[in-house]
Amino acid sequence: MNSNVTSVKLVLLGEAAVGKSSIVLRFVSNDFSENKEPTIGAAFLTQRVNIDDHTVKFEIWDTAGQERFASLAPMYYRNAQAALVVYDVSKPQSFIKARHWVKELQERASSDIIIALAGNKVDIVEDGGERKVATEEGQKLADEEGLLFFETSAKTGQNVNEVFLAIGEKIPIKKPNEHANNANADGSNDNNRVDITSSDNNAAAVSGCNC
Amino acid sequence: MSRAERRPSMAERRNSFLSSPMQSVGTPLVVPHLAGIEDPLPDTTPEKVDVLIAGTGMVESVLAAALSWQGSNVLHIDKNDYYGDTSATLTVDQLKQWVNDINSNSSKCYENAKLYISKTLSQRNKYQSRDFGIDLSPKILFANSDLLSILIKSRVHQYLEFQSLSNFHTFENDSFEKLTNSKQEIFTDQSLSLMTKRNLMKFIKFVLKWEEQPEIWKPYTDRPIIDLLLEKFKLEREQIFELIFSIGLCYNLESKTVGALQRIRRYLTSFDVYGPFPVLYSKYGGPGELSQGFCRSAAVGGATYKLNLQLVSYNPTTKEATFNDGSKVKVEEKVIMSPTQTASDSKNVPDQPYEVHRLTCIAEKSCSQWFAEGESAAIVVFPPNSLKSNNRQVVQAFILGSGTETCPAGTSIWYLSTTETGSRAELDLDAALEALEVSLIRETSTEFENENGILEFGPNGESIINSVKLGKSFKEYIPRDKIQFLLKLYYTQYTSTPVFDVVKDEFFNRKHDANQELLIPGASDNGVIFSSMPSAEISYDEVVTSAKVLYEKIVGSDDDFFDVDFEEDEVPTGSRTAPVEYENTFEEDDDEDIEMSNSNVEEAVGEMEI
Repeated sequence: MNSNVTSVKLVLLGEAAVGKSSIVLRFVSNDFSENKEPTIGAAFLTQRVNIDDHTVKFEIWDTAGQERFASLAPMYYRNAQAALVVYDVSKPQSFIKARHWVKELQERASSDIIIALAGNKVDIVEDGGERKVATEEGQKLADEEGLLFFETSAKTGQNVNEVFLAIGEKIPIKKPNEHANNANADGSNDNNRVDITSSDNNAAAVSGCNC
Repeated sequence: MSRAERRPSMAERRNSFLSSPMQSVGTPLVVPHLAGIEDPLPDTTPEKVDVLIAGTGMVESVLAAALSWQGSNVLHIDKNDYYGDTSATLTVDQLKQWVNDINSNSSKCYENAKLYISKTLSQRNKYQSRDFGIDLSPKILFANSDLLSILIKSRVHQYLEFQSLSNFHTFENDSFEKLTNSKQEIFTDQSLSLMTKRNLMKFIKFVLKWEEQPEIWKPYTDRPIIDLLLEKFKLEREQIFELIFSIGLCYNLESKTVGALQRIRRYLTSFDVYGPFPVLYSKYGGPGELSQGFCRSAAVGGATYKLNLQLVSYNPTTKEATFNDGSKVKVEEKVIMSPTQTASDSKNVPDQPYEVHRLTCIAEKSCSQWFAEGESAAIVVFPPNSLKSNNRQVVQAFILGSGTETCPAGTSIWYLSTTETGSRAELDLDAALEALEVSLIRETSTEFENENGILEFGPNGESIINSVKLGKSFKEYIPRDKIQFLLKLYYTQYTSTPVFDVVKDEFFNRKHDANQELLIPGASDNGVIFSSMPSAEISYDEVVTSAKVLYEKIVGSDDDFFDVDFEEDEVPTGSRTAPVEYENTFEEDDDEDIEMSNSNVEEAVGEMEI
């Protein structure tokens, strides 16, 4: 694997119908960088972003509807390095829900997770629709909780790429051989991971550390 | 819909936004739930579903994913506020609640849960509840198995991390023998006589293709495998025990030939698929993680999830299901329910006649000496009569270290289980635990007393009674000697699946054959199909079979069970056929010509040619 590529698990959160999925679709399927189309059954969507001389590969986990009845699994939050919390600027209720998700992330996700807050559907306001959540309100929440903040439109694409770029810029770049120093106290290390899709009868399938 | 009729495929049922998945090349396709803006998901439970599944255990979760991808509209619920049900991976706090629930409700599923928590753990200074992931039915995954194929095919493997497990220990004569499990080791093992090596290799060659040689095993069909190994292959006791109990993971000396041969081959054909080890396990927890993965897959396929919801009653005439929050749903086809999820007026829950006794401990020791280098888990098998308790049945122990991320550094989780019944079971488990402890602290150990169990020792050696059931206060207990146990949990689990067997189709038919359903007046669960509880099996091998049987009950056939063909990208490279170096090796002829790669081994082969 190219040592310049950092994989980042990003989880999406927000009330139903605020446009979480649309933001991701816009980001992933726009010809933002060379990439494949989203496909049925994808475990998660991926998109690569080039930042300076390295690449951040986002693995974007949709809630798949499991958030509706407070039924998100611990697996969803596990090892998430970034989260995108979305609300709809025309629905105050969705902003209240966004606060709830930020709190949820602080409780359930790892403490160094990077959280971005996105006030979506600003196109509605530009089309003369009524804004119910002021930009200042969003900015205030972001400042209080240390979040990145953008107002976006999945429909027009406004600020969508910018959100992901901003997250990517805050992701610590993985140094080559970093894993080698990662061995824990018991002598086992993070690299004892078996790729079950490569049964090539080869011990190399275990990406064990040979150093 | 008639039972025999095949349900339309997902593509047929949902062509409003999905065409054939095969069309994916170059055609933008939309993941169902990424269509959120056009079709916002309602915050209410659907009024009508095809299938209602209660319980998010392994089997039910695999079933939910299979049905969702086939095109059924699934509502999947669980009365608990976590995923996994009988397969759950729990934090310490969740485990306390679980024990409380078991002890306050009589159920056919669990009994006699006793939980002891040390002061170190309950004080929460050093450890937090969520530092631990404790499996209710821990499992290992054979590298060559049906579930592994489904994990890849469904892409659920992308949600999981797998680690290797190569150390299988057999407890013999008060010590642990690491299994001689590769042909290299067989050849280089100085303790094996030349004749034994030859006989062992002969047997391994046979077992890989045993079905083709009925002349050898047919006469032993109804006899214990030990007879075959003794009479036909002239193996010695030590090798026989390793083959039957560590490699075959059988439960007693009476294990029949055919079943045991299948199990021995399972290990051998799994070895070297991904490397020099036969099994894998998932990081962060076992079946609890896999269940979550399959549930997520089902959700992506369109299933609705609702935790904290219990089915209170089902009316098979109106097909209306009622939940504990007052909501109702019409179920067009079937209701599937885990025996653990039943409401109070359940009268149709199948008998669960088989016992599995479990003892789960968290030790404040890393136990890394039991693991292979770079690994964090081991299996220890205690064959019949190897323990002080003169055990008749095997005790199996699955040890997990902190590299599995289910416990913090410096600790390990020990899962012991036995198929022994009644009060003997706990004696066997305690004896096995003691053997594990003795092994760990042998160098420093001075004295050992275990007559009354380890729960009765105070800080200054005085004995105190600490065996409090949950719901009362947790008192400190200080185990003797060096090993501090942070937690100990005993429980008995019941199942309808006997050891050595998988669930039988007939099991589900008892009350449902030919639509002649026997309705019990006043029962809340008439017309419900019950899934099976996990058996004593330490591998995942029963899961796919159980899920398929249920799938066929609903869909009419299992032809399209996970018949999903996701796009070409990231499709697994290796095919999942039985690989094994063993086979290649034995293609060659007999003992003389065995190819060996490293020089040590060649020496050993030379020895054999003498």
